Amino acid sequence: MSNIAGKAYAMNVVTPIRWYFVWLNKLIFWLAIKIPGVLTGLITLSLIHYARWVIVSRNDFPHLSPEQPREELKYSYMFFFSNFNGSWDQYVDSFTFSIPGGLDLFWKWNIRYPNSVPLMPFHNYIRYNQVDTNHYYNATPLAASNDVKAAAAIMDSLQSFDKAVANLSPEEFQKQYFAVLRKHQNDLGDMQPTPIVSLAAHEVEMRRKRELAQHAHEHDHEGELHG
Amino acid sequence: MADKSGNAFALTCFCPIKSGHEGEIAFADLIRYKLIDWGLDEDSPMAKVPNTYLCRYYVLDDVYSQSLPGTDFYDRWYAFWSIFSDDVRRKALPYEDHLKSKYLVFSANLHGDLDHWLRGMWRHAQGPLRDIWQYCYGFEMVNDEGSFVQYMRKCHRSADLFFDGSNDLPLQQQLRSLYLKQEFGKFVLESQGLPPAQLQQAWQAFAKRVDLHNPDGPAWRPGQTTLD
Repeated sequence: MSNIAGKAYAMNVVTPIRWYFVWLNKLIFWLAIKIPGVLTGLITLSLIHYARWVIVSRNDFPHLSPEQPREELKYSYMFFFSNFNGSWDQYVDSFTFSIPGGLDLFWKWNIRYPNSVPLMPFHNYIRYNQVDTNHYYNATPLAASNDVKAAAAIMDSLQSFDKAVANLSPEEFQKQYFAVLRKHQNDLGDMQPTPIVSLAAHEVEMRRKRELAQHAHEHDHEGELHG
Repeated sequence: MADKSGNAFALTCFCPIKSGHEGEIAFADLIRYKLIDWGLDEDSPMAKVPNTYLCRYYVLDDVYSQSLPGTDFYDRWYAFWSIFSDDVRRKALPYEDHLKSKYLVFSANLHGDLDHWLRGMWRHAQGPLRDIWQYCYGFEMVNDEGSFVQYMRKCHRSADLFFDGSNDLPLQQQLRSLYLKQEFGKFVLESQGLPPAQLQQAWQAFAKRVDLHNPDGPAWRPGQTTLD
């Protein structure tokens, strides 16, 4: 199990939905894309790297071989995938407290969805329907989503700044430099390796180190015997 | 299709796993063990695949049957009518659904064109991919980049809503900007309180050291977990 990669947590939730309500849920998603402002709540939750909802109709699971039995499902299924920073509780709670309405809008037609408020039934629902990730890869494990966005803004600013100050006097340069600092004062947080938030991931790392050390030791020992 | 948000793409694939076993271990469990055994972070085979922001694999053994009380439309409807009949109350219970195959679920957030990315995935991680996907139906037809793209397209199911809370720059540009952000942070601390002329000199040295205008200048490595 590897739900954590650096500062990102991978959440997978699988929930059943009546097949005849799939169109309604898809319509809600379509409207969320088309109407500006519907996703404002999600944007405010700046701890999310990427998230997606995929509804697989009950007859639409891939069938790739005559040997493969065809699915005979009564419900269609909604798959939710999220990549976020922080712990499971922080994430689920932030949904409940920040965008309960939006969350209910997306899940309302799923079987036995308990609503995002109160908190504990919602926690239970997510925990019950969550699948653990077997392998999770993150290209920027040292950075939170906000770091990635801030870094892009800083790079643009620094390149423009460097061109703009090429022929300025030292005093004028300093003035411009302070202006850049003021602009990015909230973007300059130091990025460091994440503290251990998952004992499971920590144990995997420790086991791997032990195995590598043992392998190196055996290799040295063989070298001595042959030498 | 809601798979795209600017230049970011959300790929979701459901690959049916063959029913069978090797020794006493079911194919689905073999996939699970092999995935758990893949290297982490920089050592992951996916770190070699260009323009991969984040990706995950999991084995879906079965779907979930709901048993806890909920508040969906039908629950309220049946809750009212069950006052008059126990049959109605029993009908309110959700069905128990089961999958006939287990599925390898693969999800990736990537930059750029999907086919191009899939070709890169095959080119850079072919060995580990074969090791995993050999247990899936239909994968025996895969023998090159083209057939891999076709296979993944068959397993692909489009997202209904894709939310990009990060940005859609090429990965190399993200890694380069993160490096610059970190280095600039250090520069700010080190140059605090310098007189204007020295500050200007220090800046010029900094811009040269980090090769500020070169898109191929120093950058973090994909999956890098230490600041060495």
